Amino acid sequence: MTVTTVRRKGLSVPSYIFLLAPAVIFMLLMYAYPFIASIIRSFLDKSGSFSLTNYIKTLDLYLKDIVFTFSVTLFNTTLTAILATLIAVYFRIRQNRITRILSALYKLPLFIPFVVVAQMMNSFLAPHGLLNIGLAQLGLINLEKPLQLFNFAGLSFGFIWKQIPFAVLIMHGGFQMIDNSYIEAARSAGAGMLKVIIRILVPMNKSSILVSLVLVYSQIVGTFTLPYMLIGGKIPTTITVDIAHRVNYFRDFGVANALGVFSYLLVLLTAWYYLKTKLGETK
Amino acid sequence: MKWINHKLFLKTIEIILLVLSFLMIFGPMMSLVLWSVAQKWYWPHPLPQEITFDYWKQALGIQKSLAIGAVSIVPAFFLSLGIAVVTVLVAMALAVPAGYALAKYRIPFGTLVMFLFLMPNAFPQQPIFVNILQMFTRLRLAGTIPGVILVHILVGIVFGVWITSATFRSIPPSMEEAARSVGASPFTAFFRITLPLAAPGLLASSVFVFITSLDEFTGTFFIGLPFVNTLPLTLYSSSGYNMQFASVIALILLVPSILFMFLIQRVLKAEYVGGMG
Repeated sequence: MTVTTVRRKGLSVPSYIFLLAPAVIFMLLMYAYPFIASIIRSFLDKSGSFSLTNYIKTLDLYLKDIVFTFSVTLFNTTLTAILATLIAVYFRIRQNRITRILSALYKLPLFIPFVVVAQMMNSFLAPHGLLNIGLAQLGLINLEKPLQLFNFAGLSFGFIWKQIPFAVLIMHGGFQMIDNSYIEAARSAGAGMLKVIIRILVPMNKSSILVSLVLVYSQIVGTFTLPYMLIGGKIPTTITVDIAHRVNYFRDFGVANALGVFSYLLVLLTAWYYLKTKLGETK
Repeated sequence: MKWINHKLFLKTIEIILLVLSFLMIFGPMMSLVLWSVAQKWYWPHPLPQEITFDYWKQALGIQKSLAIGAVSIVPAFFLSLGIAVVTVLVAMALAVPAGYALAKYRIPFGTLVMFLFLMPNAFPQQPIFVNILQMFTRLRLAGTIPGVILVHILVGIVFGVWITSATFRSIPPSMEEAARSVGASPFTAFFRITLPLAAPGLLASSVFVFITSLDEFTGTFFIGLPFVNTLPLTLYSSSGYNMQFASVIALILLVPSILFMFLIQRVLKAEYVGGMG
């Protein structure tokens, strides 16, 4: 309605302003404002004046958790990178009944929310959970001393479970687009399978591999549900769990925001790469 | 391919990979299924000694038994459903015009607008929720259903804008121009030509926003607690003391995710999945 009236009156306001304005105003109020506020408030003390107390307190209490978050993220991104690339390459060079079953299988976890994944892992990885029972049945472990997995290891299992399918999905499209003739040419020049993968397939699909890793990395830094339900307040835990504790138990928004800024800093590089690529694509 | 020798060796590796993938992906899901029917499961038995569907019946409101001391999930289910429906309606009402504008107009500050819609995917969202909580506490929206809906719209609108603008971009402008050249007004052209062509993409993005809202946890945790108990939050709060109910709810939430995956996989662009959960 607004668009027609404006046009009829011949005003010079372009009509896309009216199309964009509602969504943009919503994002400014609900995203840009809280984002900027989270940074500003991290530098304010309880009385509202500028200070670094929140940062001093954060480093004092949570340095261990910041390091933990970073190592969990780095470890799982690397592991996802290696495994997902191998699986995606395998789907590219072999096409038979097994790969068809597998590629359907690898799609299952894609949309399962983290809260469900967390509950699954909570029961599956428990000291008396299905994994320990299964391993004991195979004689691999002693049930009197079950694997303790509510820590780095279990968290990684959960992240890998959810992230590999996602990374494979992103890489898959890129690998399918590589023409067979490249592979055949390299083959006839005498290259082995490994060489074809390292020298041809992976380099040609570099951009989608990188994008998938960047997304996996920033998702792991930001995930709250899985560490919260799996590790909770135990030490060490992730930044996201600390933020929740700071807010829910202490109503301490200053330290919560300082922790938030640390989580921004952890993703700074990947965020820059992601924004650069996506903005480049749409031009 | 002919350069892969040692066929038997390869087949063995493939079958090992298949079995391992099966165990890894279905193992945790099986754990949920077993827990959802476990009446008695004493350690170290590999399987529950007694099974019952009472937890399912109770959770779904078919049976009321005080013995297993449980809550019905029916109210949480309808609350989640209602929130998701309103979220889709509002988010799409905001996202469709914005997506259309981004696809069809040359906007001088376009990069800045895109930047705004990309930010939530690039940075952790939890600090945003923390600061929305402060804002909503002042506005008396914290712990209310409208407050939760606003947060769900925020999570959904990003996907909404990206998917709809990609959809509109894929429709050649010549179609609309052809309609205009035979005398259709811009509105007729849009509603008669562009909109029907875009319908599948718009539907996909609506379903996407719907599922995001149904599954949303972190934002609801900060803004909604303790008064707005959606399905994911009911799952969380029963997870500590009632494994059976938590498992039933987890399985109920699993169904739409898997159905949706099969539904959408044709139109699916991998990166959209990024911000889920």
